[in-house]
Amino acid sequence: MNEPMPVCSPAERGAVEGIVHVVRVDDEVVWLQPEPSTSCGGCAAVGQCGKGIGSLARRIEERRFALAHSQRLEVGERIVVGVAPRALLQAALIAYGLPLATALAGAAIAEVWFAGDLASLAAAAVGLALGVVIARCAARRLLARGDLAPRFLRRVPPGESLQPSTGGKGGA
Amino acid sequence: MKEYALMMIGAALVNNVILARFLGLCSFMGVTTRIDTAAGMGLATTFVITVSSMADWAVQNYLLAPFGLGFLRTVTFILVIASAVQFTELTVRKVSPSLFQMLGIYLPLITTNCAVLGVALLLVESRLSFLASALFAFASSLGYSLVMVIFAGLRERLALATVPRLFAGPPIGFIVASLLAMAFMGFSGISTG
Repeated sequence: MNEPMPVCSPAERGAVEGIVHVVRVDDEVVWLQPEPSTSCGGCAAVGQCGKGIGSLARRIEERRFALAHSQRLEVGERIVVGVAPRALLQAALIAYGLPLATALAGAAIAEVWFAGDLASLAAAAVGLALGVVIARCAARRLLARGDLAPRFLRRVPPGESLQPSTGGKGGA
Repeated sequence: MKEYALMMIGAALVNNVILARFLGLCSFMGVTTRIDTAAGMGLATTFVITVSSMADWAVQNYLLAPFGLGFLRTVTFILVIASAVQFTELTVRKVSPSLFQMLGIYLPLITTNCAVLGVALLLVESRLSFLASALFAFASSLGYSLVMVIFAGLRERLALATVPRLFAGPPIGFIVASLLAMAFMGFSGISTG
């Protein structure tokens, strides 16, 4: 607990951060679980928003992940992990942009060749499936490079949250 | 081709989902504290709006309209949108658990995003072909993402500024949003056919 705080690399300084709990400690990895903050926190419905499908507990448990055990963490500790901003954008482009592009391309090609709505619809579905397969390969490549792995940034003092400023430092 | 291009410009800029139709304001104010998260949310929403609009178009034209079930449209569309979000979540999780770890946070928010339902209902009124519907939905969601990223950039700058205490927080956010809406009104002079 008393070791010095790790120094973040310049790339990590602008990282997209999140608070996680340590739920299990193994020999080489620690298992982390995100704090229950699925909603944006921007309005009075913060407690209910985004809970529609499946229970919140199940959703959070599904997002449990492992991190290399390098900081002597203990079960129950809260830490901040982060990913590079560019990695988040890359991940979003691969997961959503690629399948969407292939689906739209499929629909457009079918419209030109067959000039029918049903053919466009079928081609869009095929394009979407093809895009998912391509996205899978691209995600694997990104994962192999280690771009998607979250990194330990710092320990969280009790009571701290990551809710960012919503606009302006209060002046006089 | 020209008609499609004009329709897309109109959907993205002139009749912007957020600033002209006032849809999706919850995520507009809630997820725009950082450019990266706004871009992630924008891309996720773009995917869901486009895919669910394609599915809604099929349901409307091959199920609801032929059998005279138009009164079930809203309920059916909500079901289709929820299914699209669930499908997206399952697919991302299967395709790459790492991507799911990173992006899963945005998906539950989209279920309750009225912009998704709003675009689907607008498409029914427009009576467009399948490709035109898909492109309209894609352009509308691109406009949504564009405004999200612009507003997030403004709020990142705003977080460093000193504003009167009375306006600090959401009030100055709303004032900036109104100025952005006025700026987008400049696009209304563009003729989109």
